[in-house]
Amino acid sequence: MSPSHTAGFARQATETVAVAPVGWRDACLGELDRGGRFCGAYAVGAGAGRRWNALFADGEATRMLSLEVGEGEAVPTIVDLLPGADWDEREAHDLHGLDFAGRESLRPLVAHTAATGSWTVPVSGEGTYQVAVGPIHAGVIESGHFRFHVVGERILHLDPRLFYKHRGLQRAAEGASPERGLAFAQRACGACAVANSVAYALACEAALGLVADREARRGRTLLLELERLYNHLNDIAQICAGVGFAPGNMAFAALKERALRLNAELVGHRFLFGTVAIGAGPEVSAARADALRGALRELGEDAASAWRELSFAASVQARLGGVGVLSAEDAAALGAVGPAARAAGIALDCRSTSPGLWYGSSFAPAAPARPSGDVGARLEVRGVELPATLELLQELLAEPIGAGGSDPGPADPRGVARVESPRGETVCAVELTVARRLGRVHLRTGSYANWPALAHATADNLLPDFPLINKSFELCYACADR
Amino acid sequence: MFVLLRHLQRVRREAALPRRQGARSLAIRHVDAGSCNACEHELTAIAAPQYDFQRFGLDIVASPRHADVLLVTGPITRRMEGPLLSAYEAMPEPRRVAALGDCALGCNVLADPAELALPLDQLLPVDLRIPGCPPTPAEISAAILEMIDGG
Repeated sequence: MSPSHTAGFARQATETVAVAPVGWRDACLGELDRGGRFCGAYAVGAGAGRRWNALFADGEATRMLSLEVGEGEAVPTIVDLLPGADWDEREAHDLHGLDFAGRESLRPLVAHTAATGSWTVPVSGEGTYQVAVGPIHAGVIESGHFRFHVVGERILHLDPRLFYKHRGLQRAAEGASPERGLAFAQRACGACAVANSVAYALACEAALGLVADREARRGRTLLLELERLYNHLNDIAQICAGVGFAPGNMAFAALKERALRLNAELVGHRFLFGTVAIGAGPEVSAARADALRGALRELGEDAASAWRELSFAASVQARLGGVGVLSAEDAAALGAVGPAARAAGIALDCRSTSPGLWYGSSFAPAAPARPSGDVGARLEVRGVELPATLELLQELLAEPIGAGGSDPGPADPRGVARVESPRGETVCAVELTVARRLGRVHLRTGSYANWPALAHATADNLLPDFPLINKSFELCYACADR
Repeated sequence: MFVLLRHLQRVRREAALPRRQGARSLAIRHVDAGSCNACEHELTAIAAPQYDFQRFGLDIVASPRHADVLLVTGPITRRMEGPLLSAYEAMPEPRRVAALGDCALGCNVLADPAELALPLDQLLPVDLRIPGCPPTPAEISAAILEMIDGG
């Protein structure tokens, strides 16, 4: 396979490099050496023609290393070099039958095996025992199981067991047209519907040889920021609930409700469903843009005063420091993204490298004053990003958004796109068949990337703090299970 | 704190929610059987100040043992069928089952059929159907209240 290179267009270029099995680990290390960042891997095909593709982000570009996997062959693992690839390898084993050589174990991830010992890390010692929580939780929470290994109330290790909500969406989308596949990407997660759909649409457009025009890029960016707005308000409300601070929980729940109502007024759906299309963008008239700007300004003022008040609530602040710490080193090794990474002091925000959207060259990732990687820092990132998002929305709505379209660009049967969701970088890879049907859709959401980091951050904390730590990441189960 | 409380006071004044007449209550147990999380967001929102469903005596409870109603979201994945049926079995009688959202109603479900169990109404007796993708908080509250008032 010859490397294909596309640059100079308003899209995220993807370069593919074929690698032989013997050189796989060195090739992956080489990507890291040249400044690449691992952002997912996925298996394609069945039988003798299987491939294992690893993605590396490098600024605006994405590089893909592609390995052909023969019948009965095992892929050399990279999990010792890139711990962030752990879930990718385990998922490929469970769903595509890939074997990996050189790993300590390939514990089932997506597959649910009966024996607890088969999917948990063995933990033993005096006074250790396990606490099983879920899949059904106490409140209105998505389904997933947590197996805590504890001594007394102290967590030694957490084995999350998700995929109770696995609907086989990626598999179900295969064979569909790119347009029809959009529904599968959107319904992977209600709270990240826009981010997932935009990532999918951008990946399809790259594969189809389309480049979204200025208006489509502005429209999609508007939708992405509206999604971030209600999610961040929700996350702050949830963290308040996690420490039992009802006034903060309810005040931010009320602000989130206002944001959802504005979404409904603008596009007719509170969660912005059905607003993203391939090769097109949403239209916003001058009157609607003006009305939305005014409403967002009021919402922003109320959110700012509520946030200020929250920062002076000593009983809340006292509960946040030093809880659920994720160090910068661990965040980087585990491939954490989004607010979780930024709270640990990693200046990573996909919006600063999204030429297919409308963030501009001056966009800079938010940096909390204390990047301590704890619950408090993750809360602060949301608080810092709210005004930035509101400012972006004001800029986008300063003029009406016309009906978006697309221009022709270079086509490649494979398209990859990266979009910053409220939970971090979401990567979508799409491979088309010669008949321009979906051969493979791979969606690796910000939640998927962050779950291993969350599990890691719980170690050495008290079991009763887990709900708070969980809410400070506020990851979706649906988008990981898909 | 006072600023937050003032905010809430204003929201409540603007919402001008009528008070419920008479004393009744209903304990709801929610089970997510594979939803996309949008139904969960709306179910959480019915407790927000703009709706305040607790003024009707409605509450989400932490155990099926305490519940009158099993409120189910999602298309019922194969992996959630067992936990869902266990939750139903754990409920005291009389008990009701409510399907929240189009997926739980078996409408327009997007999934690999091999990953799904039977539709909810073939697994459990469904007493209340709340359509929508997702249904709004107002629709959820109204449907549940109608069930109480209907006896």
